[in-house]
Amino acid sequence: MSYPTVYPTGVTIYNPKKAWSGYTIFQAREVGALLIDMNGSEVNLWEGLHGFPNKILPGGYVMGHLGDRNNNFGMQDQTDLVQVDWEGNIAWKFNQYEFIEDPGEEPQWMARQHHDYQREGNPVGYYVPGMEPQTDKGNTLILVHKNVKNPKISDKLLLDDVIIEVDWEGNIVWEWACNEHFDEFGFDEAAKNILSRDPNMRTSGGGMGDWMHVNSMSVLGPNKFYDAGDERFHPDNIIIDGRETNIICIIDKKTGKIVWKLGPNYDTSEELKKIGWIIGQHHAHMIPKGLPGEGNILIFDNGGWAGYGVPNPASPTGAKNARRDYSRVLEIDPTTLKIVWQYTPAEAGFVMPTDSERFYSPYISSAQRLPNGNTLITEGSDGRIFEVTPDYEVVWEYISPYKGVHLPTNMVYRAYRVPYEWVPQVERPVETAIEPVDLTTFRMPGAAPMGAKKTTVIEGTRPYQGDKALCVAAGDEVEEK
Amino acid sequence: MSYTIYSATGCTRCKIVKQVMKERGIDFIEQDMKAEGKEAFQKFYAANRKAIFRGPDGVEFPLLHDGEVIRQGIGASVAYIYSGMKLDGFFSVGTLHKEWVDGIHVSGGNPAYAAEFIEVLRYIKNTNNMKLQLDTNGLNSAILEQILTENLADVVIMNVLGPKELYGQLVGKDVDLAEIEKSIALVTKFPEYKFQTTVAPVVRQDGDISYLTTKEIGATAKLIAEATGSMKNPYLVKLFKPKECKDERFKGVESMATEALLPYRTAARSHQVFVEIEKA
Repeated sequence: MSYPTVYPTGVTIYNPKKAWSGYTIFQAREVGALLIDMNGSEVNLWEGLHGFPNKILPGGYVMGHLGDRNNNFGMQDQTDLVQVDWEGNIAWKFNQYEFIEDPGEEPQWMARQHHDYQREGNPVGYYVPGMEPQTDKGNTLILVHKNVKNPKISDKLLLDDVIIEVDWEGNIVWEWACNEHFDEFGFDEAAKNILSRDPNMRTSGGGMGDWMHVNSMSVLGPNKFYDAGDERFHPDNIIIDGRETNIICIIDKKTGKIVWKLGPNYDTSEELKKIGWIIGQHHAHMIPKGLPGEGNILIFDNGGWAGYGVPNPASPTGAKNARRDYSRVLEIDPTTLKIVWQYTPAEAGFVMPTDSERFYSPYISSAQRLPNGNTLITEGSDGRIFEVTPDYEVVWEYISPYKGVHLPTNMVYRAYRVPYEWVPQVERPVETAIEPVDLTTFRMPGAAPMGAKKTTVIEGTRPYQGDKALCVAAGDEVEEK
Repeated sequence: MSYTIYSATGCTRCKIVKQVMKERGIDFIEQDMKAEGKEAFQKFYAANRKAIFRGPDGVEFPLLHDGEVIRQGIGASVAYIYSGMKLDGFFSVGTLHKEWVDGIHVSGGNPAYAAEFIEVLRYIKNTNNMKLQLDTNGLNSAILEQILTENLADVVIMNVLGPKELYGQLVGKDVDLAEIEKSIALVTKFPEYKFQTTVAPVVRQDGDISYLTTKEIGATAKLIAEATGSMKNPYLVKLFKPKECKDERFKGVESMATEALLPYRTAARSHQVFVEIEKA
């Protein structure tokens, strides 16, 4: 979404009749974990509580981190994962994954958590009827970092993605490391070549290759495919996505093997070609049982730049060789690979491709399926959180006013909606509708209204046409012929 | 007695062993398995397959044969030329390549022949500029100390077999724990070092056989911490491999999955913060 210089922040649209109302949690940039109601009232700010991401648990608990590692040495490493109560008391904490001694820093245990975690009881970290995350017991799956060497991938130091399962006492009871499954991801020789030379090298810690960059990790949970006998979708299995590789895959919890996969290439079958290239995606997860679309894979397909492969004019080396300048939210049946529902610039009402970039977040972002079939979308790069109905009507929209000082952006990594009942500490708020503003009459003080003072009529003018003859061809123009 | 050296073209280790023999005036026949000695080697290999170690990269050279005894690898071959069978136990076939030599076991041989053992190390390292990786389980600490004094090791790996109360049983004889602790402390003074413990099966007092417990691995990590005065030693917890075990009592023990090592790592981390677990 491209903003003008002046734009409103806070809630800009709210239709209480069509929205699935509740509280929304997100990380207000450089401020803390912020819980807002549907009118944007700030119900609780857990000041300074980092969120990569923040999640709300029943009872008004919030999860987040006390801090992150010095960026000079670590890439997006959070020091810990904590669960704090309504008043900010720490109810649970994990940090004992790796003992870190960075130059000039206090030696300490760190979780090195990043991007995601899931508390037992709920597969995806958002509201699912009958699947409440546990708050006083249960295991937690945590996505963490580990620096490894794996000459199969590259001779450079790699920043690997590891999933650990931690019990309530903090014991690690299961562990899965991405680099150990390199052969299962299906990279072709061109991809292996550039991966070997440049596994997405980052400068932190003297250089490390963030080769996969897993940004989402959740459990499948009970689902109709497993119920029908498809073992690939065992409820304990875990789905992850790696933004640098354009891969979305399911890990068998028992064997650790990859049992289902989309990417890294999207031109190897007719089904994949119809999906089109998923690029730099975030928050790929299976819609849990009990929600509309259950069993389907919901993905925020960012676009932007990602992937390893054959060099092309946009990618002279083959690094980040897939590109697209708009985003899509896709809902895909994992057995047929058909797109069941999507929200793209077209569904948003923008002319494609000339206005496609108006729905575009090239990094972060997410999508949550709500119980009434709506989808809460975080178009993260511009701090926009909005809720759309299945037929694409925006029934709630919020623009984060929190712009960072150290990083001057109002980005929102991921937002979650939870029911009012999960926060018993406050009274249910009054819901006040906010009608969409008529942009043709919305003016800043001093700005003149629309409408010519004089209209001059010219004889012989012809009516205006549609968009068929724009300078840029529409993406579907050939198909239409 | 006639000696044969089975070598491979360009093999530095083979050249060193041949040099030792020349220096000592010992005649030998060379069979280069990559040249004219290929057929002879194949014949020799077929007849002695069980006695020849074949690693992931193939057969390790040189092989020394005196008609009866076979010695494989640089350490074992030089030791045999120097001292006959006196140094058995100190050397076995290594798996490292290029300038690195391993398969050198400080605790494996008879300490009465320490001088001879040290002499072999001097020859390989000082005379021939090879780098040495040694291992120890804590026995023969005096030898380890001498090796340290003479800078004869580049890497030392110490197999800390278990907690104090089980150490004797795990070694297979009574041990002086002070000696084990002395070795643990010495190991940290080498240019590079690592401690490791295999989660091994133990015969319990009631006769039952069971793996070292997480608590016992925790106590092992504590032993390292106490002996070194540090919680920051590199420490690897390893899987026991029943198939590779020479002790008949433990061959039938069910192998442990890699995942089962996770609670051991947690237990060890209370005393050593840089613990890693072996991946199968």
